[in-house]
Amino acid sequence: MFIQAAAGISPQPSFGALLTEPASYAGNRLSCIEPDYSQLIDPKMIRRMSRIIKMGVAAALDCLKTSATEMPGAIITGTAYGCLADTEVFLSKMIENGEELLTPTAFIQSTHNTVGAQIALLLKCHSYNNTFVHRGFSFESALLDAVTLLQEQHASTVLVGGIDELTDTSFALLSRFGLYKKDISSSKTLYDGAAKGTIAGEGAAFFLVAAKHSGKDYAQLNGLYTFYKPRDITDIEKNIQSFLSDHAIGMDDVDLVITGQNGNVHEDAIYEQLAQTTFKGKANAVFKHLCGEYPTATSFALWLAANIIKAGVVPSCTLVNSNNKHPRRILIYNHYQNTHHALYLLSAC
Amino acid sequence: MADLKQQIIAQLNLKDLKPEDIGDDQPLFVEGLGLDSIDALELIVLLQQEYKIKLANAEEGQDVFRSVRTMAQYIREHQPKTV
Repeated sequence: MFIQAAAGISPQPSFGALLTEPASYAGNRLSCIEPDYSQLIDPKMIRRMSRIIKMGVAAALDCLKTSATEMPGAIITGTAYGCLADTEVFLSKMIENGEELLTPTAFIQSTHNTVGAQIALLLKCHSYNNTFVHRGFSFESALLDAVTLLQEQHASTVLVGGIDELTDTSFALLSRFGLYKKDISSSKTLYDGAAKGTIAGEGAAFFLVAAKHSGKDYAQLNGLYTFYKPRDITDIEKNIQSFLSDHAIGMDDVDLVITGQNGNVHEDAIYEQLAQTTFKGKANAVFKHLCGEYPTATSFALWLAANIIKAGVVPSCTLVNSNNKHPRRILIYNHYQNTHHALYLLSAC
Repeated sequence: MADLKQQIIAQLNLKDLKPEDIGDDQPLFVEGLGLDSIDALELIVLLQQEYKIKLANAEEGQDVFRSVRTMAQYIREHQPKTV
């Protein structure tokens, strides 16, 4: 499967050069840097869109524009939290108005599939449209569906994206669960020290994927694999080795490993152990200091990996270990709360 | 009518418009302001919330929501009397 284009709206300047001037944040919450949507979306439609819908639709449209594709063969999205802001408006109005006088717009747009539906409405795309909501596997499920559609030749191109937003309410609730660090001065220091908690993030990343090589692809996605609640580190190592073996390669064939460290000492312990075994001596890049932690953060990692292969350069702000090698094959390994583990293998075309 | 225009702008999130941009007799739907069926539902909610008026018959909507003037007239005729 080939990635013809990748576009994202994230806490980083996403539409310009690749992370040449990375944004850093004070505190434990990263918010997306949003573009001027009126340049991308019909103003008549913008008025009804909440922030996540605008982020998702704008990223999708930019992705299509980059690939010079007017109509994808299918639209698939993955989101864990869905359209939280509209859900909050709808639920608040229910309470305020005694379950009467509910605003239809917030209700209609509170469903998880709103972003995919809005993209389809804008494009007048009547093809396959699906949304996956599976916590830390939401984006992987969407991508797996895209792979299946392409392999079974139900579509020649698929627009697939991962989207999640953070609202004041969700941030407050997730903070109460102890997910985020309480005393972090800057996102740049996310990996310093050995404390519990991470930083909150959000983002929208879209990809136009195709079964056939177009000659201008960002990268080839050779494989995707997920595993749930591994027993121990040995189990994780076995899964990684088996994934590579399935693609007839070993770690020596991988130029760069992108891993999902999020600053939480308990969760990062897995990556640290792998750095001493399976990933020992490999060039390593990290990304969650740039986008924060959220269930579909792997969509940001895939956006980053595809751009690294396309540009042939690893942004210095992501590198932990470098071998100064032009990366032609990248392995992404991420886990979400040590329950949802995902592996991606990409290579240059 | 200026208040009603302001309420319509707020309810429908017509951020680029000011009350003076909406003509008293300008059609609200299709060729006028370009509102659609979801906006019609929002306007029904507005009537209930702001003026305690329940649109008795959905078919009335076409005449009531023709313009700001027809809406204002309907409100005047149907607003509950305060003692």
